[in-house]
Amino acid sequence: MSTSLTSLTDRRPPSAAGGPTAPRRATPAGRSRHTVRERLVAGGFLAPSVVLVALFLLAPFVWTVYRSFFGDSRTSPFSWFDNYALFASDPALARSVQNTLLWVVGTVALPFVLGLAIACMTDAGRFSRLVRLCVVLPYALSGSAVAVVWNFMLTTDGAVNQVLTTLGLDSLAQGWLLTWPGNTLVMILANAWQATGVAVILFLVGLQSIPPETLEAGALDGASGWQQFRHIVLPQLRPVSIIVIGMSLVNGLKSFDLIWVLTQGGPGRATETLAVSMYNETFLELRPGAGAAIAVVLTVIVLAASWLYLRRQLDVKGV
Amino acid sequence: MSASGRTSRAAGPLARRRFLAGVAAGAAALTAGGCARGTSTSAQPGTTSISNDNATWDDGYRTAGRQLKKITGYSLRPLSNPSVTSYQQVVQMTLQTSKSSDLVKWASGYQLKRLARAGGLTDLGGVWKSYADKGWVRGASRDAFSYRGTVYGIPLYESYYVLFYSKPVFKKLGLTAPASWEELLHCAEVLKRNGITPFLASQVGGWPAIEWFQELVSKTDPHFYQRLVAGQASYTDEPARRAMDLWQDFMRKGWMTPPDFDQARGPGALKEGTLGMFLHGTWQAAGMAAAGMKPGTDYGAFLLPTVRPTTAKSVIAESGVFVVPSRASSHRAAVANVAAWLDPSVQRVWSDFLQDSSANPEVRSSNPVVAALQRDIARDHRLPLVRYWEASPPSLIQGNTDDLGGFMAGQTSPATTLRRMQERAHDEWAAWKRDEA
Repeated sequence: MSTSLTSLTDRRPPSAAGGPTAPRRATPAGRSRHTVRERLVAGGFLAPSVVLVALFLLAPFVWTVYRSFFGDSRTSPFSWFDNYALFASDPALARSVQNTLLWVVGTVALPFVLGLAIACMTDAGRFSRLVRLCVVLPYALSGSAVAVVWNFMLTTDGAVNQVLTTLGLDSLAQGWLLTWPGNTLVMILANAWQATGVAVILFLVGLQSIPPETLEAGALDGASGWQQFRHIVLPQLRPVSIIVIGMSLVNGLKSFDLIWVLTQGGPGRATETLAVSMYNETFLELRPGAGAAIAVVLTVIVLAASWLYLRRQLDVKGV
Repeated sequence: MSASGRTSRAAGPLARRRFLAGVAAGAAALTAGGCARGTSTSAQPGTTSISNDNATWDDGYRTAGRQLKKITGYSLRPLSNPSVTSYQQVVQMTLQTSKSSDLVKWASGYQLKRLARAGGLTDLGGVWKSYADKGWVRGASRDAFSYRGTVYGIPLYESYYVLFYSKPVFKKLGLTAPASWEELLHCAEVLKRNGITPFLASQVGGWPAIEWFQELVSKTDPHFYQRLVAGQASYTDEPARRAMDLWQDFMRKGWMTPPDFDQARGPGALKEGTLGMFLHGTWQAAGMAAAGMKPGTDYGAFLLPTVRPTTAKSVIAESGVFVVPSRASSHRAAVANVAAWLDPSVQRVWSDFLQDSSANPEVRSSNPVVAALQRDIARDHRLPLVRYWEASPPSLIQGNTDDLGGFMAGQTSPATTLRRMQERAHDEWAAWKRDEA
């Protein structure tokens, strides 16, 4: 067993390990040349990725941080933290932060709960494949296409209000995309409609990897269905849950396409998230310094949230 | 298994290397292609390229280009980018490079001033003077095409903001195009009573939120509108408050469509008879034709009456412009084409294509509805006012447009909206003047 493990993990050529039939040991100078050559080769392989990441990811980020310290007048003077102070003084940005928090909570909670429930309910069953397909299908659509469909439903004279009116529920008909926080909440629901698909897929993979013996053992011990789920299934779904929550967290923080197509952050900048505000300030309000500051804040939040969450989760069992 | 495994391992590195070499070669070719100069904006004999943010106008440019070629020897080659936001970014970035197109469609007023102050535009003062001598431009509008006294733009088109209305619906209800404010209110009441939404008002896409604001303020007091957009009056002054109260009153009475009603559906709604009047630029005449509506038969148009009979008559005008980047690859050809653009023979085909009025006051629109409006504007000596979108610094307009969108959605009261607009005006005008100094 240990031999086979060694052969699997040791990447050195077997002949270099020595032994009665091994060739003469390399001299220190030869070994050093060999190591340098290996490092050069490794560096050569790494170089394209490192250069690309540095050129297209790190350099723009450094430039964005640098730009965020300069004002947006014609001469772009150095302005210390003025652009960051906008978070305290600009009500549109304060609303944007509120919306981003709503999106994070919504995009983490809804796909997780719905995805888990649908995966558990359709893991076995007669029509499970069909149901699963229906749930997963929206995930294959682009965010913009989803937004167009929901726009057709959510405008004041759209499908939802028409159905409500037909059913005699006129009092419930309203401008779904016009008033805050309702407009943000319906967009989070629309996002959940699409994002639940991938959570279902991941949870199904997790469910199928659970050894049936553990459930049988639980059943023999007299555990009820809920107890089996709570104490046997859920703990074994932990690695998948970590991935689902981590992905949803980042998706919630960077949500843009659905909002942009549905409301463009309006009316009156009421539905902007930080990602939309960043675009709006930079390209529409023509304030690249303010846009850069928002980009930096958003990046710090995404990195911090991901790092805090994943470090805590991944360290426990080394998942 | 082992044999096949050995075989595959032996063949693996070679196949992988070949694959990697292929990928690297492909990437290198793509990179080289990407770095190479594109042909779209490079000089092509007998043509001038024109950057354009409205792809539906491409045929019009080609038609006008054929007419231009008879005069200058150069036709027009449209390059369209239908996303207005990305179009503006691309134009501003390429203007400083040799990859700019020969002609660029842009907006007049402060949008042009902001572009011009970054440098890179050709002085078109000589072309303007030549046009002014022939009477092919309106002298009063020179400032909207200038920055610090130098002309940088030549009018591409000129449209007016008017109310299109459904003739069959008006006829059925015994209504005529209103000539006074009272008649307008009467039309709205009758339409509403008959289950028809009187006015289209929208904030979809952002900018339409300015349409009712500019109309109601200018029809309350056109001289106040001029002072307001020049930063010489306050948004909290009485005429602005009165205009916003009127607007809110219209909304409360259910006279306006919900603010998430897409304007693209306007012509269809007029045709169906679910909408009575549609406030928009006269360039919408082409949209009416696309919806199968005939001018004079299916639709008519009138200018919004003034709120008081004694108020001076005015009209909101929108002008697009042609600018010529100083580093255009076919610079001489581009200047020749702008110098012939307002020639009546070119404007005839261009105006026919747009179904709109021409920037050359001597060219009458072939659309009878628009032609009648042109006659009314000339007869009444209406004061031409620059559209709100181009009338003040762009950052101020963008922010105030957002506020108006919020007002339309019922988020803020008229007083709060105007107070916010004034606060922004104070800051943005100060910033603009600081930059200019």
